[in-house]
Amino acid sequence: MTTTVAVRPLTITACGVVSPAGLGLDVLGGALRSGVEEHAAPVSGFEDVVDGYPPRPAWAVPDLRVAEHLGRKGLRHIDRFTLLGLIACKLALDEYGRPLTDAERAETGVVMATNTGSLVSMLEVGRDTLLQEKPYLVNPARFPNVVTNACTGQIAIRNSLTGVNVVMSGGQAAGLAAVRFARTTIGDGRSRRLLVGGIEELSEVAAWGWHKSGALRDDAAVGEGAAAFLVEDGETVAAEGRTGLAELLGCEVGYYGARDAEGRLDGLRSGIERALDRSGLSPGEVDVVAVGATGQLGVEEIEERALQEVLGRPVPTVRVAETLGELYSASVPLQIAAVLALWRAEPADHARVALVTSIGGDGNAGCLVVRECR
Amino acid sequence: MSEHRRVVITGLGAVSSIGIGVENFIEGIREGRSGASKIASFDAGNFPYTTAGEVHDFQPETILERIDVERWGRSSLFSAAAARLAVQDAKLDPELLSASRAGSIMGTTAGEAQVLQAAVEQWVTDGLNEVDGRLAAMTPVSQIANSVNHELRLTGDAQTIPTACSASNMALGYAYDLVRTGEADFMLAGGADAVNRACHAGFYRLGALAEDLSRPFDLNRSGILTGEGGAVLLLEPLDHAVARGATIYAEVLGYGVNCDARHMVNPDAPSIAECIRIAHRYAGVKPEQIDYICAHGTGTPTNDYTEVSAVREVFGERIPPISSIKSMIGHTMGAASAFGAIVCGKALQDGFLPPTANLDKLDPALGEGLDVVPGKARTATPNIVQNQGLAFGGNNVVTIFGRVA
Repeated sequence: MTTTVAVRPLTITACGVVSPAGLGLDVLGGALRSGVEEHAAPVSGFEDVVDGYPPRPAWAVPDLRVAEHLGRKGLRHIDRFTLLGLIACKLALDEYGRPLTDAERAETGVVMATNTGSLVSMLEVGRDTLLQEKPYLVNPARFPNVVTNACTGQIAIRNSLTGVNVVMSGGQAAGLAAVRFARTTIGDGRSRRLLVGGIEELSEVAAWGWHKSGALRDDAAVGEGAAAFLVEDGETVAAEGRTGLAELLGCEVGYYGARDAEGRLDGLRSGIERALDRSGLSPGEVDVVAVGATGQLGVEEIEERALQEVLGRPVPTVRVAETLGELYSASVPLQIAAVLALWRAEPADHARVALVTSIGGDGNAGCLVVRECR
Repeated sequence: MSEHRRVVITGLGAVSSIGIGVENFIEGIREGRSGASKIASFDAGNFPYTTAGEVHDFQPETILERIDVERWGRSSLFSAAAARLAVQDAKLDPELLSASRAGSIMGTTAGEAQVLQAAVEQWVTDGLNEVDGRLAAMTPVSQIANSVNHELRLTGDAQTIPTACSASNMALGYAYDLVRTGEADFMLAGGADAVNRACHAGFYRLGALAEDLSRPFDLNRSGILTGEGGAVLLLEPLDHAVARGATIYAEVLGYGVNCDARHMVNPDAPSIAECIRIAHRYAGVKPEQIDYICAHGTGTPTNDYTEVSAVREVFGERIPPISSIKSMIGHTMGAASAFGAIVCGKALQDGFLPPTANLDKLDPALGEGLDVVPGKARTATPNIVQNQGLAFGGNNVVTIFGRVA
């Protein structure tokens, strides 16, 4: 019944990035080209916890000067996860060039990718129910942080954004789901613009989770970060004589977790082909690929093979996880940011095309096509 | 904008504290049966309140055909089971379904909180290095939708929307969009959550927990009863449903979504009213056409006053009958709106108004002319109904369903 139809482009008109390389696209571009000079040590998410981090690299966002970006008010009970998201959104809104009017804020929404919310906040409540004198003596001021949409709620509150407010969880590929959701929502006129992105918070628990799961190569680092893109309807942006950083074109994602490795390869390959097809582009027009499964046992090879089979030639490849560590829910957003950062650092004479691919151990896999704005 | 397809609900799957399978569930709803019982899923001994709406007779292996129950948490098992039941109810060939562009969008509040709590217990007892590594892959909230795709061998979107207590209305809305615009041919949409220690503790600490029963709209209400379960609806294009002679429960007419952007936990009446207006606009209906409202109706005074006030703002003098099924199954969190949608679908098809159970004395402070359908279901012929979900974070989502003539 379904037909494959061309997608209506979304344009990224501003972006905010928080990563182990620091804040913004420029430091990210530098780090991708020459590495991060010295990675910041991770902070401890929990009081009085002696377990520490597992024996593998853990890379944190350095020097998070919260007050400088968010002021000092109303942050006492906000967790690090939400701070990362708030700062990324603040940077994106600042980059927009002018403050949004009240009317524009009412037409602006938030779509963030996360598969966990703040594990630190959730586990803090879980521990309190076991360790406090009474099991219900959890911190009432911090309890609302346990909901997975606490961050998007805070982004809305602190920026007065009353549009569609949603969280998308699709494993490693969650960021692709966020882009798909954004297209539907903007296409249906439900919001004029959306802050689209994803967040990952480093903690002892997240690092041990990766470490004990056996999903990562022994030398693979665990990272953290957030990226937020202010996204609008592409044709509207063009009609108003504005431009942006890049267009988000075809975006396909599917679940292949019930299949074997060959079946997952087929799934990802067909997703890449469909995404290109719906972008009106051919494999030969791809300039760069940003892969997402770097360091992940079992799926890294599937991703590389699917790309090889579709593209049939070597294409410059960005492996974000090598520079920033494993970013899970924030992986796709930081892959997009990495492409933008490299394009900004090295201008070209034509509008370049990137593939952002993702495949996770859970079986979610897909692809987004990004085209540079000229 | 291109031509869009009409989308209908052709399958309903429920795993609830008052019945498993849509017929058992609806029988309980119509009778006003209570699903409250002593908590069994965790040791509630040191809690002042020890009642919740748990599903005690859930045996996932009797419903699920593909999923290995050892590898998924309780919420995922709820969602996969409810999805399997919905497909059976729709009498849709599972092979056709898995060969189609089909997937699932599922709402949740706490995701696999029981899995997380098990990890916390191992951590507290033995240290992080001793936590069972298999729990890591079972913990992400994304497993809730993954389990549906896994059980039904679906290769389309498997997206979980963890936007707290309106999450499954958002999931329904988005799944409807995907079918309507042709991105998918079939979608399973709904929600799942499991009763858990952290949630019980938190709501008690916020002073929002009921001691024994949920009593929405009652003068003596004391708060929410935490509940659990899975609720899933199958969405299909109208033309396809008609062509295969499917039972059509209802048409999804549209939905509204917005965000208060004011406070994390306190709802905001003007914003909820605006959300209802948005839903009406997208559904192409007027307030006077709404025959019934399935309220968010958590059973807290704050929710009652705010929600009724918002409804008055939109409907004026004539408020449609409005009831809360949470009076029976408790607050099933991320599944709550999907249970509401199932009840709406059956109300349209069978011709009844779902009741508010446990109503002793209607709170006079809620004002005149309020019909909460007390006690048991009432025979009626609703044509268009509205299903409300409100959430932490100020996320409001309202879905509108209509009878297909």
